[in-house]
Amino acid sequence: MEQAFFMVENICAAHRTGFSLREVSFSVEAGTLTALLGANGSGKTTLLRAICQQMRHEGSSRLQTGTIHAGQGRGAGIQSGVTLESLSMRSLARLISYIPQHTGISMAMSVLDVVLMGFNPWLGLLEKPDGGQRRQARQALEMLGLGTYIQRDYRSLSEGQKGLVILARTLVEDARLLLMDEPDSALDFPNRYAIMEKIAGMVKGYAKAGILSPHDPALAMTFCDKMILLKEGRCIGQLRPRIDGIPEMEAALRQIYGPVSLIACKRKKREHLVLLWDQEGDRNGTSNSGFSV
Amino acid sequence: MGNFIGFNRKGKTGGWLATAILLLLAEFCLSLFIGKYPIKLADLQAGDVQAWNVFFTLRLPRTCMAAAGGFGLGAAGEVYQMVFRNPLAAPDVVGVSSGASAGAAAAILFLSAAPGMVAAGAFVGGLLAVLLALGLSALASGRGHASIALAGVAVHALAQTVLMVLKLTADPEKELASIEYWIMGSLNAVTLSKILIPLLLCGVGLAVLFLLYRQILLLSVEEEEARLLGVSVGRMRLLILFCATLAVTAVVSVTGLISFIGLLAPHTARLLCRESGLPALWLSGLLGGVLLSGADMLARSIASAELPVSIFTLLLGAPFLIYLMMRKEG
Repeated sequence: MEQAFFMVENICAAHRTGFSLREVSFSVEAGTLTALLGANGSGKTTLLRAICQQMRHEGSSRLQTGTIHAGQGRGAGIQSGVTLESLSMRSLARLISYIPQHTGISMAMSVLDVVLMGFNPWLGLLEKPDGGQRRQARQALEMLGLGTYIQRDYRSLSEGQKGLVILARTLVEDARLLLMDEPDSALDFPNRYAIMEKIAGMVKGYAKAGILSPHDPALAMTFCDKMILLKEGRCIGQLRPRIDGIPEMEAALRQIYGPVSLIACKRKKREHLVLLWDQEGDRNGTSNSGFSV
Repeated sequence: MGNFIGFNRKGKTGGWLATAILLLLAEFCLSLFIGKYPIKLADLQAGDVQAWNVFFTLRLPRTCMAAAGGFGLGAAGEVYQMVFRNPLAAPDVVGVSSGASAGAAAAILFLSAAPGMVAAGAFVGGLLAVLLALGLSALASGRGHASIALAGVAVHALAQTVLMVLKLTADPEKELASIEYWIMGSLNAVTLSKILIPLLLCGVGLAVLFLLYRQILLLSVEEEEARLLGVSVGRMRLLILFCATLAVTAVVSVTGLISFIGLLAPHTARLLCRESGLPALWLSGLLGGVLLSGADMLARSIASAELPVSIFTLLLGAPFLIYLMMRKEG
């Protein structure tokens, strides 16, 4: 568990807009979830896009597949130490499952068809998903509580259900590395937690490695094992929510979010971390609103 | 049959497919006996040479062309909408129809108004327009389906300009009339010798589309997502658009412009079966065939002169689409 499964090494990328990502490095262990935290424009999406090779960059994302458990079947063909940059798009598709903010499915399509897309990296161009794969897709949907929606039009589902369908697709994709760009952004409060619980369960249960940029930092502190703090394209620190001390974490989070306080509270024998927006924070004296209380 | 078309689920889709097939068959049979020269079954049985002649050289090719051409336009229309991820996408988006019109007009002006020449001109014009649009979009790298659509709009405008210039130089008595008539579309000039090559080309294009349909579905998601699902988005999109265009251009080169089928058939198919799988592609094609066959029968039987077929595709199709949209959900 402690051995790195996946390492991001010195990734630099430049945007046409002038924004750039500078020498970001971190490692991810198998069976863990890593969150990228930062304000808007801090480089979370750019970093995710660079890791999944959808954007030109320097540096590399290296796999240490030596740590993949034996018997994890399909992903085992890739050699240890290989960089994602050197892989073909098809191998990359087998290795990575990408969950976008929005899937952009704009045409009527059955839920089953959406899930079956997950088999594409494993199918020949003219091949169709066979009976076993269709069964697997149904099982994945049933597991996520969508058994009765199999024939429904994907677009008619609620955002929470759509998220679960994409998760079912990820499940059948059977990729070792999950990259998620704000998987929670369109979801309401209970659905956020429900879907993150499923993602965390999937990552731990199948020894995958997950990297996500959560919309809500509270989710990262509840579910993630590691948090990478990004500010203006640089990695300014790493935190481990259940290990690092509260003052230390608070100080680090203030660097990226500004005036916030971190509070720990115990409930049902679990420690929860709550992030609060600190109104008095660093605004004292510079009250630019013109109001006084 | 069920497995052959990739349709192995219960539901209304099977019923709609069967209905569309029956409807198309009925129209096909009816169409063989409707027209200026009346053919009766009894004449054919009696071995009337004149009747057989008309039947083979005119009626049968025309009927086949209406059914197959409608199928091609409907199925290709569905593919355009999927690949551009836009419910309004039609062959016009990549400049097919205006390119074909300009090609046909050029052929009428500079070569001859012989139908074979016009068809060849239209085919070349349509294909050139699309290749130009696809080439332009490849130069503007990284903008995906939006750049193809933009390039298509530019090529469409360019072809319209060319068409306008050609029309200006045309002799209004004869040439201009033929150009206008071609643009309105008709299956009047269809004969056996003229449809063999176009139908073959259309068939090749459609075959590729049906074989690659799983990839077409994948192209309808966000580009990066599709790439990480293992689709080589750029190349696949070019191949699929080229094949869809090949099918459309082959049909249009014989019939002239036929509006609306490429837009109407896919929407109707999707509203009926509420998904975009392979069954929807079949249904879209079949409905296109039904629509064009019906429109063609009306075009040649309603008045003493042949009427442009597009009038009837619009008259038949538009109210039906509006009805489907108004129908309650569920």
